Amino acid sequence: MLYELRDVKRFYNNRCALSVDRLAIEGGKIYGLVGPNGSGKTTLLRILAFLDEPSEGQIIYKGSSVTSQNASLFRQEVTMLLQNARLLTRKVKDNVAYGLKLRRYDSKTVKTRVVEALEMVGLQPRDFLNRAWHELSGGEAQRVALAARLALRPDVLLLDEPTANVDKVSEALINQAVIKAKKEWKTTIITVSHDLGWLYSTADEILSLWSGRIVHQGPENIIPGPWEKLENGLYCKRLRDGQKIYVSGAPSQSGVVSISPSEILLAEHPERTSARNLLYCFIREMAYCNGSQIRVTLSIGEINLVALITDEAARELKLSPGMNIYVVFKATAAKWL
Amino acid sequence: MEYIFSGIAEAFVLLLKGDEEVYSAVSATLRASTAAIIISLVIGLPLGFLLGYFDFPGRRFFRSVFDALLALPTVLVGLWVYAFISNRGPLGGMNLLFTLKGVIVGEVVLALPIVIALSAQSIEELDLSVRDTLLTLGASGKRLLFDILWEARYGMLMAAITAYGRVISEVGAATMLGGNIKWRTRTITTAMAFETNKGQFAMGIALGMILLLIAFIVNSTLSYAKRRRQTR
Repeated sequence: MLYELRDVKRFYNNRCALSVDRLAIEGGKIYGLVGPNGSGKTTLLRILAFLDEPSEGQIIYKGSSVTSQNASLFRQEVTMLLQNARLLTRKVKDNVAYGLKLRRYDSKTVKTRVVEALEMVGLQPRDFLNRAWHELSGGEAQRVALAARLALRPDVLLLDEPTANVDKVSEALINQAVIKAKKEWKTTIITVSHDLGWLYSTADEILSLWSGRIVHQGPENIIPGPWEKLENGLYCKRLRDGQKIYVSGAPSQSGVVSISPSEILLAEHPERTSARNLLYCFIREMAYCNGSQIRVTLSIGEINLVALITDEAARELKLSPGMNIYVVFKATAAKWL
Repeated sequence: MEYIFSGIAEAFVLLLKGDEEVYSAVSATLRASTAAIIISLVIGLPLGFLLGYFDFPGRRFFRSVFDALLALPTVLVGLWVYAFISNRGPLGGMNLLFTLKGVIVGEVVLALPIVIALSAQSIEELDLSVRDTLLTLGASGKRLLFDILWEARYGMLMAAITAYGRVISEVGAATMLGGNIKWRTRTITTAMAFETNKGQFAMGIALGMILLLIAFIVNSTLSYAKRRRQTR
């Protein structure tokens, strides 16, 4: 096991930002962290990168308990691309070579790795090696920052929204480079990304976070409140487009429900159905996952839902991104968190 | 107006002929201000780093003190240092009064708060992401601190140049502590004040042109540092 977290808590000003009872992370996999803002994704990444110490609990990395004394040693194998990654005020080649020089690689290896890393992120070394940090666009700067991490061939690469502020071309190149790092060096990738389609299609494991807790391992739809109580014992959430989501059961304190993607069905036409929820939505993304399954990301009002369907079902319904379709699920499919 | 134009013409003659009195004042100014700025940087940069980087009890108080000292009147510095280095003062035995070393002490007192306050500010403005970036790339210990300092280098350069601009143009402390002694402690500014009082405009204007040239170089370097800092 690469990481083990036991009863880890992190407080900021007496507010618990993260509370993980148990978490095991295996090497060589891609883990995706999903959850709304403030759910503890970045806090978890920073703890896994040994940038922050947990307020309570224990982290075990490759069988050794992590302490403030040995954290810098483990940081030689683990690196993180911060959300607003900044470059050092140096040339591109010095930025990418920085970590390699710290690790005392010989100059030939440094040169080779710098060129290789820049090529991995789609930057021509000939054009970029001698550019200063301030001569790059936002997307180029982000790719140089990623190249500086890839050059290290790290055991663990933690990414905090690596494509949040970049153009589409940079986004695609960053995503490709990350997958290549996993394939070529068996780097474990732990990433937060707004690009759910990419995340769900690439990640081996998905961890859903809510209010600092890991609420589910695997893809899950998380729907926050407010919920209106109805006379028939159901609760309803009004979406901005006027549609309503109905759920049953007694609400939890958090007022948040989760629905498994496998509980969500897609229908071409509105039909009579025993399911309480029939919602008209728009297909944002489709991506293969786990072989024959297709993950469909759907937009309904202000929320996104993910449904898992078979390849065959997608073909029968002639699904494609951009088309409108109906979503069907029972009120009992939702679980209060 | 004629005496002004003839003063300017004479000033060029003094400069081009290499007038010893003019260049003695320039030499004294450069020696005193350079020594003062080196001492201030050696003491001030580490203190500025500590004040800007580490969080400790009383940090805000010290920051306010050094910020307030940025506007320290030079005559007040002259008075205080005079009290310490005069024969009756605690450092009287060191015979610093009316020497260039005495002027240097005064200029260090003037420059030090500027170096400390501005370097602390440049470290604070770097924000935590620089530290995090360096940590994620594997830096630690002394290397981490050194590289944070390096990332703040344009801010540090600004602190040094601002302090240099202040000491090279000050007149109060240099007059009180150096005594404006010809060939020894007479600096550009004290000589300008003295020669103008005597009606020797040519000498004053010649020294003024050199001071203007130095100020131009200092300000150009300051602008460069500011530009580089903004592109960070």
